[in-house]
Amino acid sequence: MKKKGIIIGVIVAVIAIGAAASYSSSSVEYTNLDMSRTHGTVSTAMGSPILGDPDAPITIVEFGDYQCHACYNWFHTHKPAIYENYIATGKANLVFVDLAFLGRDSPTASQASYCAEDQGMYWEYHDLLYNSQESKIDGGWANSERLKAFAFSLGLDMELFESCLDSGKYSKRVQYNISEAKKHSARATPTFVIVGPENQQEQFQGGQPYSTFKQIMDNMI
Amino acid sequence: MLIGLLILSEYIFLEPYVAGHIPKGTEIGFLLIIVLSGLSALVLPMNIYRINILKNSSGKIGGSVLGSFVGAAAGACSCGPIGFAIISTFGSVGATSLAFLTNYELPIRIAAIGLLAITYFTTVKSLKIECKLNPQ
Repeated sequence: MKKKGIIIGVIVAVIAIGAAASYSSSSVEYTNLDMSRTHGTVSTAMGSPILGDPDAPITIVEFGDYQCHACYNWFHTHKPAIYENYIATGKANLVFVDLAFLGRDSPTASQASYCAEDQGMYWEYHDLLYNSQESKIDGGWANSERLKAFAFSLGLDMELFESCLDSGKYSKRVQYNISEAKKHSARATPTFVIVGPENQQEQFQGGQPYSTFKQIMDNMI
Repeated sequence: MLIGLLILSEYIFLEPYVAGHIPKGTEIGFLLIIVLSGLSALVLPMNIYRINILKNSSGKIGGSVLGSFVGAAAGACSCGPIGFAIISTFGSVGATSLAFLTNYELPIRIAAIGLLAITYFTTVKSLKIECKLNPQ
């Protein structure tokens, strides 16, 4: 009888610990996330905050990697014109979804961007990463120490940022984004999905020039 | 080969519209692709001719094929579908070799051009001897 009681007690304790652990991890991972957020067929719930007017008729979903050179080129060469003519004017908005596959530092850099989001600085950190990208993949420019240095340079609360990054708080979020990208047959970075006002979608890959985006978006509006 | 490399290196896009661009800072890569393709276009047919018509040794075609292949592989597979396929298939080993090809894209392309140039001159030299008309 005593033995039975001990076994039941152990089972109850294990269940209680498991439930508490799963509750705490889910409450940490998904705070302030709109889990129902989708753009067209893409679930962007775990992606970046929306850049631009959330009610804009067109959404550009970018699947990207912070170590990708083509993403860097697109960010510097074509994104400014898209931002100026479509995002800043309220015609379109942009969501970044991580397809962090190029090296071991890629997922860490993505996680760091969400740690910056915790302090309301996602897009500042995102831009800083693309402004700081160096030519070598896994060459150390996006290792944990450098990611913390970037956060410091933005004036983030370092205690919060470091505990977030070191604990791997957003590793599942990044993994979810990668699987979402793969689900949409994204096989290169950057891959773009442009979602129009009637949920019509156009998907293409590569850091394509501004003229391509203009042609697609003007046809949608 | 030129068109293929320009597509793989994302200088030309075919979908959803045909478009071309040379992003700032990638001009040297673009130039190296043109030189590499030009040399391949010269060296490969010369060596195929040597083998088919003159029934000569196939030693030099090794250099031209290797030069063309290595030059094409470098950089053509960084963020693109080829890189994605390599990493998906070979995991971390694929990622490491891919990172090497991407990190040393320019030196590898220059080495490939060097190899093709050497093959070109040796092929021209041997063709001059092999194709010399005998007046008798």
